[in-house]
Amino acid sequence: MLSSSGRKFNLYALTWRLPIIFWQFIFFVGPVLFMVAMSFFLVKNYRMTEAFEFVNWSKMLSRGYFWDSYWYTVFIAGVSTICAMCIAFPAAFALAFRASESTRRWAIFLLIIPFFTSYLVRTFSWFVILSESGVINGMLGYIGLGPYTMLNTSFGTLVGYMTLTLPLVVILQTVTMANIDKNLIEAARNLGCSAFRTIWQVIIPLSKTGLIIAAIFCFILSFGDFVAPFYLGGSQEPTLPILILDTTKSGQQWPRAAVVAIMMMATLFAIAFAGIALAYRKKKGAK
Amino acid sequence: MSKPLVVFDKVQKHFGNFVAVKELDFEIREGEFLAIMGPSGCGKTTTLRMLAGLEAPSVGEIRLNDHVMNDVAPHERDTPLVWQSLALFPFLTARENVEFGLKMRGVDKAERRKRALKWLDKMDILEFADRDISTLSGGQKQRVALARSLVMEPQILLLDEPLSALDAHLVIRMQAVLTDLQRELGITFVYVTHSQSEAFAMADRVIIMGKGEIAQIGSPKDIYREPANQFVAEFVGRNNILSGKVASLSDDTARIATPSGDFTVPTKEVHLVKGQKASFVISADLLHISIDEPDARNKAHCKLISEEFVGSMVTLFLENSTGHEFKVQMQERELSKFDLKSGAEIWLSWDTASAHVLNEN
Repeated sequence: MLSSSGRKFNLYALTWRLPIIFWQFIFFVGPVLFMVAMSFFLVKNYRMTEAFEFVNWSKMLSRGYFWDSYWYTVFIAGVSTICAMCIAFPAAFALAFRASESTRRWAIFLLIIPFFTSYLVRTFSWFVILSESGVINGMLGYIGLGPYTMLNTSFGTLVGYMTLTLPLVVILQTVTMANIDKNLIEAARNLGCSAFRTIWQVIIPLSKTGLIIAAIFCFILSFGDFVAPFYLGGSQEPTLPILILDTTKSGQQWPRAAVVAIMMMATLFAIAFAGIALAYRKKKGAK
Repeated sequence: MSKPLVVFDKVQKHFGNFVAVKELDFEIREGEFLAIMGPSGCGKTTTLRMLAGLEAPSVGEIRLNDHVMNDVAPHERDTPLVWQSLALFPFLTARENVEFGLKMRGVDKAERRKRALKWLDKMDILEFADRDISTLSGGQKQRVALARSLVMEPQILLLDEPLSALDAHLVIRMQAVLTDLQRELGITFVYVTHSQSEAFAMADRVIIMGKGEIAQIGSPKDIYREPANQFVAEFVGRNNILSGKVASLSDDTARIATPSGDFTVPTKEVHLVKGQKASFVISADLLHISIDEPDARNKAHCKLISEEFVGSMVTLFLENSTGHEFKVQMQERELSKFDLKSGAEIWLSWDTASAHVLNEN
């Protein structure tokens, strides 16, 4: 009796899940499989032809510029993650522990608003602020500094990444820390832990899972972003998304672009997997 | 005579317009087991939190060892608290939880490990030292929480309803653990609870709080036999409260006319005036029952409504013709001599000395 009702339930659940499974197959699994297949195709006279050759892989992976771009992208996405986590933390801390319930609700609402407008539009607004004759250099000029070149640099890229990721990171950190049992913080204080020290001793360990997930999101968004490095970073040092674009443009090398894309996906899979494993890891092991 | 360890000097606590603690003026003696008891919202937990420095008094002074504590940060105090929710750190093992306070105090690794293990052993949970908190049972967690506070070797231990989450049989066991510990260590325990049985079973002195004020301070026996006022009498329960007007006065007794009849009460400790309203209380275990009308000055004719057994003790619930409820507590073997059935008519009587007149407020 129990098993039959269990089966009925499963069928019911499956019915609801079918659309999403179907969607994933058509628009995610299918294209990925096609992309993997494409990475073995050949390009002859600017035309892609079906084949099964490893030439794209060996060519791409033996090029110095690919690895330069790869490590630069990993590096700048890593820096972006560290910056976003550090900049967001004090704000999230204040919202989680100092602000009232209603202030917190308003702040989260306001942090969602940036997502109403296109990221591309928000990126363009930085031109006005960061350019040689922009707002910041104008103000610095008054006190006899600058002008500094901020556009078309890694700094510009980072500013773009922050635009993309900061609101999300602040929201994730705030929600995580607001859920901490306040008794635990008081218990730490009661046992001789200063208010500042509770951050390291209690708050970070307790919000570890949420913080790591926020960092994963930040890294994934930065790593795969095309807009910031292209418009604000000026593709000075091409990140992998820019490399993909360049590769498709030069000689219709879609198969080689597929190699880059697969490498990116593999990296993100590894990072996400390792991050989630770390986030949900139980203990350091018995010592 | 032990000197006061803690003094609450006209302490008040307001949260905005809400007055959590109206005025507290009391002392905690060194080495005593003090219970603070009251219904929820009476300010007992706020009192404890002020002692731990987690809330600052709005008015008044709290002194520990003659030092004013008002502006001392919680982490600079030596007042470990055992929380109702236990508040154990879920990301640490049992041993690491116990070590936490020592680590914050800068005790070196080997020493704090040694002391943590000693306390875990003392609390009979040494074998769980390296277990995750989430894998421990309620009783084991309770012991970890106690060890975590006691490892600090404080002068005073604060406990905020620590047993409220445990099963009844574990509560009894932990009560014994707590009283043994307190006696052995000789440190002061301040125990906040809403449970009369916990407070009366363990404490040397009990403070009954109601609506942010102290209603009575005294030994469990004083509070049970001689509640100061109607609030305490009702809160303590298991007693009979009768109200009426003073009909006549003699040297050391008064006759009080109530809807249930006229009764004699002792007046040595109170001053009554003829015609004034007065209430008195008789503990449920001081009433006698009989089938035939007794030859006594204080008696009431009642009908048996129901009985409640707790082990060998039984509580009878009775009602007289005016609908007033009486409670009688007695040994089950005493009761069995009477062979009573529900609805049986019986007589209650009590000695004048058993009655205790309540202060009007």
